[in-house]
Amino acid sequence: MKAIIKYWNKPSRCAYLFLAPSVILLMLFSVLPLAAAFGLSLFEVPITMNTVSFVGLENFTEAFHDERFLNSLKVTALFTLMEVPLQVFGALVVASFLTKNNFRNKLLRAVYFLPVICSATAVGIMWKMILHSNIGFITAVLQTIGLGRINFLNTPGLTIFVVSFISLWRSFGISAIIYVTAIQQVSASLYEAAEMDGAGKVRQFFHITAPSIRPTFWYILMTRFAGALQIFDIIYITTNGGPNYTTESTVTYIYSRAFSSASSMGYASAMSVILFVIIMAVTVLMYRKMNKED
Amino acid sequence: MKKRAVSILLTTAMTISLFTGCGGTEKTADASRAEGEAAAQNGGAKETQPEGENQTAPGDPVKITFWNSFTGADGDMLTDLVNRYNTENTDGITVEMDISPDFDSQLSTAFAAGTGPTMILSPSAYRFTYGDYLQNISDVFEKTSLDKADFIQSYLDYCSEGDNLYFVPFQVVGYYMYWNKDLFTAAGLDPEAPPSTWDEWADYAQKLTDESKNVYGSGISYDYAYQIAHIMQRFGGLAVTDENGSWKANFEDNDGYAEFLNMYQTLVQNGDNPLEADTDSMASAGQIGMTVGGPWVTAGLDTAGVNYGIGLIPLGDAGDMNSVEVLGFSVTTAASDVEKEAAYKFIQWWNTENAEGSSPALEWSLANGFPAYTYSVQEKDAYKASAKLSAMSAANPDAPTDFIVDSSFPGINAVIGDVIPEMINSVAFGSSSVEDALTKAQAAADKITADY
Repeated sequence: MKAIIKYWNKPSRCAYLFLAPSVILLMLFSVLPLAAAFGLSLFEVPITMNTVSFVGLENFTEAFHDERFLNSLKVTALFTLMEVPLQVFGALVVASFLTKNNFRNKLLRAVYFLPVICSATAVGIMWKMILHSNIGFITAVLQTIGLGRINFLNTPGLTIFVVSFISLWRSFGISAIIYVTAIQQVSASLYEAAEMDGAGKVRQFFHITAPSIRPTFWYILMTRFAGALQIFDIIYITTNGGPNYTTESTVTYIYSRAFSSASSMGYASAMSVILFVIIMAVTVLMYRKMNKED
Repeated sequence: MKKRAVSILLTTAMTISLFTGCGGTEKTADASRAEGEAAAQNGGAKETQPEGENQTAPGDPVKITFWNSFTGADGDMLTDLVNRYNTENTDGITVEMDISPDFDSQLSTAFAAGTGPTMILSPSAYRFTYGDYLQNISDVFEKTSLDKADFIQSYLDYCSEGDNLYFVPFQVVGYYMYWNKDLFTAAGLDPEAPPSTWDEWADYAQKLTDESKNVYGSGISYDYAYQIAHIMQRFGGLAVTDENGSWKANFEDNDGYAEFLNMYQTLVQNGDNPLEADTDSMASAGQIGMTVGGPWVTAGLDTAGVNYGIGLIPLGDAGDMNSVEVLGFSVTTAASDVEKEAAYKFIQWWNTENAEGSSPALEWSLANGFPAYTYSVQEKDAYKASAKLSAMSAANPDAPTDFIVDSSFPGINAVIGDVIPEMINSVAFGSSSVEDALTKAQAAADKITADY
């Protein structure tokens, strides 16, 4: 016992023990499932996993010939291109107005943050009802002021923008709050010096605030990018991929292949692997760009 | 030194508790399984008896697990009834129910891990997905006081594969026509005379539509695959049939399906049917003249105070039919013999009259508006007094009950989940002609039939 304690008593060894719970959780719930998904993608496996047959890369070949999968990649890309820039830059602009710790700003921060703590299901159902083509509140108001009856959730070409807006509305607050925290960390002396030199607020923002919070900017950009590429909940609740699959994201499609209709865990895993590679590539590129800038 | 040792101990404890937490399982009747003893008797060899074999003696308390997905208001009622059984039964049986919105994932994960509940409540089509994990319960009529002749045979057939019974019916889900009587009156139509043909449906839809009030005559949703399937079946019969021992898809050159798709397209283009996924909410808001849906539609209509009628879906060229989906109790392979018997006793209780002449099955039908699956419940005065249930039970009991595909076709979920939605979406949003949509549907269905 003494020998064991002595062995683990060194700070460099003891650290592993403290890391162990997190590492085990990470292994159990992230690394192992990831490895399992890679493995499963090479097999034909039903939902109960009671029969397994090796199919090699057949699932991947099938995915690249599957119109719905290719369409889902396009939808996801479009969603990401709309949601991420608006989120990253929009939240930055809003945050720059909310940095002072006065009552109004605290209230507004709480208001912006409120959708973040609401469940996606509740948010989705709420928007679904107020944007309903016939009985929706917003639809009725727009009709009353003469804009006609807009079918927000059932018009191919329009609905993806609506879904992007809902997703943005829901997660915008968290980005804004992170920016506010980052901006508040910027040394006040820098702004004082700039003011003495005659720099206006806009100039201060671009020359002091923006460069100072660059790591935060990259963090939000990368996490939002990865999040947008994995969008599922809001789409699943509001449109379930419709109308005519114009909002069917990759994860929504993967879910339907894995858990409903003709369930095929192998095929769903293969599509997950493809999505993983895409997210990985985008993240690595961004990471390199960030390091280069630093 | 002392602090470090304490830290190490705490970390070790955390790690061990993590493993314990992950590996821990709830002790129910599984606790009584005789795994170790059987192994010892076999000289330490791995036990080969079916999983769940146990040594609980008759009369000993038994706990059984019961999983389902009844998360709505009906779930509250189910919970009350299960609690009542736990209190009332004198057999020492405790039913531990787990209602999950993610029932399917939960079940598949459990089965994949070699475990599972004693009993589930699910659509009978689950026998195609989880057939290897469901027990044959044909002996339920021998081991309980349930009378097989009291059950409507076509529903039992729906729950069987050959001579093997996998489900005891719990709920019969048919689709019905609902019409808004006030809108009928406003349009100058007889509120007691709903359409009996699809030509009348289209005609009435036109008369009922009032653009100035956002009222649509017809409420067929492109997003309700089950609704579409029930209607198209009236026009063109089953989508997959058994042709001399092999499965045949019937989309292409199906005049009935083409007629339905053309009718739907025309209704949408004329503005008599909304291009909307959620038509149930519109019906509840009194803005749909006629729609088709399951018994749950009545909940929204009742809550909103809509003055409506219920009837059978108009028949088409495919003739008389009583297409339904049957939900039932099933016992899984994770259950031991003792647990299986306990599950039988619960099922028996569900279908047995008490001293007041009521039964949980009758209460369930009356409260939730689902038609009965036994003759004895259908004969009850309270059942007959319900206009809703009487209308739902008016279908010809001898008419075929198959829903959209031959009831033995294992690929029903793929047809309803993939083929029909793709077909109706492409027609609704004009990305395909009716002919192209049917050709694509045929190709997709052929791929599915080839798998079975």
